[in-house]
Amino acid sequence: MIGLEHYIVVGTVLFVLGVLGIFLNRKNVIVILMAIELILLAVNINLVAFSSFLHDLTGQIFAMFVLTVAAGEAAIGLAILVIYFRGRGTIAVDSVDRLKG
Amino acid sequence: MIQVLAFYLFATLAILSAVLVIMSRNPVHSVLWLILAFFNAAGLMVLAGAEFIAMLLVIVYVGAVAVLFLFVVMMLDIDFAELRAGFVRNFPLGMLIALVLLAELVFGIGAWRAGSIDLAPAGATEAAPMAASNIAAIGQVLYGKYLFLFESAGIILLVAMVGAIVLTHRDRKDTRPQNISKQNRRRPQDATVNMRPEIGEGVQL
Amino acid sequence: MVDLSQYLPILIFLGIALALSSLFVFLPMGVSRLTGTHNPDAEKLSEYECGFPAFEDPRSQFDVRFYLVAILFIIFDLEAAFLFPWAVSLDMTGWPGWITMMVFLGELAIGLAYAWKKGALEWE
Repeated sequence: MIGLEHYIVVGTVLFVLGVLGIFLNRKNVIVILMAIELILLAVNINLVAFSSFLHDLTGQIFAMFVLTVAAGEAAIGLAILVIYFRGRGTIAVDSVDRLKG
Repeated sequence: MIQVLAFYLFATLAILSAVLVIMSRNPVHSVLWLILAFFNAAGLMVLAGAEFIAMLLVIVYVGAVAVLFLFVVMMLDIDFAELRAGFVRNFPLGMLIALVLLAELVFGIGAWRAGSIDLAPAGATEAAPMAASNIAAIGQVLYGKYLFLFESAGIILLVAMVGAIVLTHRDRKDTRPQNISKQNRRRPQDATVNMRPEIGEGVQL
Repeated sequence: MVDLSQYLPILIFLGIALALSSLFVFLPMGVSRLTGTHNPDAEKLSEYECGFPAFEDPRSQFDVRFYLVAILFIIFDLEAAFLFPWAVSLDMTGWPGWITMMVFLGELAIGLAYAWKKGALEWE
């Protein structure tokens, strides 16, 4: 039978894959943002699993808020990416330290 | 029985597509795998009884966020081969850190399973409000107990919207947008002039 | 606990959709390979545009205004998502819930007014 552990293991693996994605694609901001989305997905899976385990809906409410924040983060992050590309012609992370103003 | 099968199907597909998100060469493929990962995670959440969150995941992520990513990938023509330059070099270190992290987390789960530390007595959590369905129960908690949190979520959405407009909107000088009220206000006497020119004099405008 | 048996038709539907779509994709590939019409060469696989070689890269740049519309869509999508549980549970939350949602809608209306004022909704 499927228990809480199964869900936590899935969440853990997704989280680790997100962290690994950030490490592997250190130059490509788009993939880094996608890896962050994976991490937030892992968080959501954990929240929902514990909410179901404890019979407490608070976890699901917080999953909704995490979803909201993730959508806002994607919108703003990609907006920054677009104007960065417009000014620089590349999206490599290396040259972000020269941003100004 | 079918639930166990469905769980393993969804979990395997979610993890596989997550692997392909971070491994695939083409970011367009990454986005498509991300959509598959979210879809399978939604399946997992349905199995856990969180129907509304699952549907929200499909609506918001698959419907909107993934499309946004796809837009950006298509919008910027980027030399992606150059960006993958450090991939092989970073692979051993990244793998090492990921394995250490995984080991720590699995160890943590194992320690929790052993049950040596008990932070909260069992049954201390409050009972879920009884409502007809998952969505009604969520509404009851969200708009009852977590009302101010909900308002701050609205503020976050507002800030995200304003920020995105400020960042990406440019005033275009070369386009001439339609001004409907100005068009409607315009009367014939503003635009046309009745003249009665004398012969051989022409018209002075 | 949720009655998962309600979702069985959806699962069956997904399975049938998956089977049919993969059939449509892989059956022609397999048949063409078996019957010998699968015979690719460089000319056959190249892009074709009315008899000319393709003029430009198909992944041309989109206009950034598409992106702004997509962002506004996400924001209002989430707003609609928050409206569903509110509408279902309004008889349990009563006036406080109603006022909360009106304040929330007001916040987003401010955002919409800002977008309108800045001309983010204008196209040409």
